[in-house]
Amino acid sequence: MATTTPDLARPAERDAVHVAAAQAYMNPYLAGIGLGLVLLAAFVTMGRGLGASGAFSALVAWALHSVAPAYVASNEFLSPYIGDGSTHPLKAWLVFEVMGVFAGALLSGLLAGRVVRTIEKGPRVSNAVRLSLAFAGGMLMAIGAHLARGCTSGQALTGGALLNAGSWAFMMCVFGGAYAVAWLLRGEWK
Amino acid sequence: MAMRWSWSRLSLNQKLAAGALTLGLLALFARPNRGNVITLDVKELATIIDKEGDHVTAGELGGWIVAGHADYRLIDLRSEKEYAEYHIPTAENVTLTALPDAPLLANEKIVLYSEGGIHASQAWMLLRAKGFKNAYTLKGGLDQWKEDILFPTLAENATPQERARFERAAALAKFFGGSPQAGGTQTVAAKMPEMPKVEAPAAAAGATSTPPKKKKEGC
Amino acid sequence: MEMSAPFFKYGLFGDEASLLVAFAIGIGFGFFLERAGFGSARKLVAQFYLTDLAVFKVMFTAIVTAMLGVTYLAWMGVLDLSLVYLVPTYWVPQVVGGLLLGAGFVIGGYCPGTSMAAVATGRIDGLVYALGIGAGTLAFAGLFPVLRGLYLAGSAGAQTLPQLFHLPYGLVVFAVVLMALAGFYGAGLVEAHFGARGERS
Repeated sequence: MATTTPDLARPAERDAVHVAAAQAYMNPYLAGIGLGLVLLAAFVTMGRGLGASGAFSALVAWALHSVAPAYVASNEFLSPYIGDGSTHPLKAWLVFEVMGVFAGALLSGLLAGRVVRTIEKGPRVSNAVRLSLAFAGGMLMAIGAHLARGCTSGQALTGGALLNAGSWAFMMCVFGGAYAVAWLLRGEWK
Repeated sequence: MAMRWSWSRLSLNQKLAAGALTLGLLALFARPNRGNVITLDVKELATIIDKEGDHVTAGELGGWIVAGHADYRLIDLRSEKEYAEYHIPTAENVTLTALPDAPLLANEKIVLYSEGGIHASQAWMLLRAKGFKNAYTLKGGLDQWKEDILFPTLAENATPQERARFERAAALAKFFGGSPQAGGTQTVAAKMPEMPKVEAPAAAAGATSTPPKKKKEGC
Repeated sequence: MEMSAPFFKYGLFGDEASLLVAFAIGIGFGFFLERAGFGSARKLVAQFYLTDLAVFKVMFTAIVTAMLGVTYLAWMGVLDLSLVYLVPTYWVPQVVGGLLLGAGFVIGGYCPGTSMAAVATGRIDGLVYALGIGAGTLAFAGLFPVLRGLYLAGSAGAQTLPQLFHLPYGLVVFAVVLMALAGFYGAGLVEAHFGARGERS
């Protein structure tokens, strides 16, 4: 039996200066198997997949509800997240799952010495520009995710594994849309 | 053995790939159960029917609609034409023939109704056979809905108790665009009042033919 | 074997316990996202500059793993696939949404799930990105009356690829495995060509 260490010890990111002291990332195939088993666990225990963007919707609906309840109640998109008032809007499955994501990522980051206060960007772009683009990208992503009824986790991963027809179309389009704008944005990253 | 010799020389990634390929090949023969295996517990069904656990009343359904519940799906089994003329607010039109292919989930609370109730009962059996454990029929069908909800009647010699109940029913009837029949001894069948327009009921606001019921399970 | 999964839908635990399950599953999700390097926007977007195809590798390995698991468990009769929620297919908004989301991915550097991993590991751009998601959600809600037609266009119900193409389930599973393996092999070649060291499958 061959030992697995050479694969794991291989530095995954040669030129990432800011993570110089950190451990190398996991073999992507092993990380993928881990992620797949977590997804499978969600199917088996809950009968549903993973998600992320839905938690943001619940959070926004709740926050807005506390300042403008009438608006949220009349809004067709947000009002279901408030429901009939019998349960707290943040007492939702996805909200707890995303809190877990935060905890799990923090745990992994601490174990690997990868928790660093930093801004991820290419060398040629200023912090202000990078942060503005991060904000704009988040907005665009949110609109896309709500239109598509799910993001990379809820649609691509979950629907991909269940062979959901719309999810596969969605996934192709995610890669298509990303490659289409990548060249324009090379200044942000390269 | 040649096999073991070559296996040990494979990298981890190649071993993983070989494993995935083997499992994928085996999966060619897989027949995953997607609700097509029919398991009917005849005794269980008979008990449910006997205990009247297979239907909801018009009053219960009306209450859900008024309260804005979104945890059920109401299925109108009649023809598209009949559906277009009138349907209970929040109902979706799925004809009996389209039912086996309708995008319903086996764990959803599904309420079926037809004109009288026979079709709904038959559809209920179909759904139970497909493993839908949460299917119900509307007791008495649309006829009962009209009688109880849209056009409740009050007899002239009603007791105060009956009157109080009628007051509540009348409020519900107005909510759904119907008209309470006070003091009349005539039955609904004898004098058919005008049916409400489909878009008239106040409850239908936001619940048009495609009710945007948010599935909280989505991402 | 007695069919008993999904546990939640067979009533093995209730709503309150499901939130604990959610938190536990989230921990696993976040842990492997960070292990794979997905708390770093540069690692993520490298996918789109072809220098590091970890996004593709991790995503498709996860899909293949979970898909095989679901297939076998349903085959053995342990898991009732009809009880696993399928997001209904709406072709038009899912195509448009996918394109927007892909563009947002490169512009912002994350997707909603990975942005949480980024925030947890101190990335300030991840935090700003998450705020952007909040703003985008508000904008979407505000625009919903306008977008409603698009949101509901091309409805096809809960639909799987085997149903769509009238193919046996197992055959599609096998095809996806083959496609993924070919993709992994190709990814190694691409990485070798575009500079970063590659990993062949």
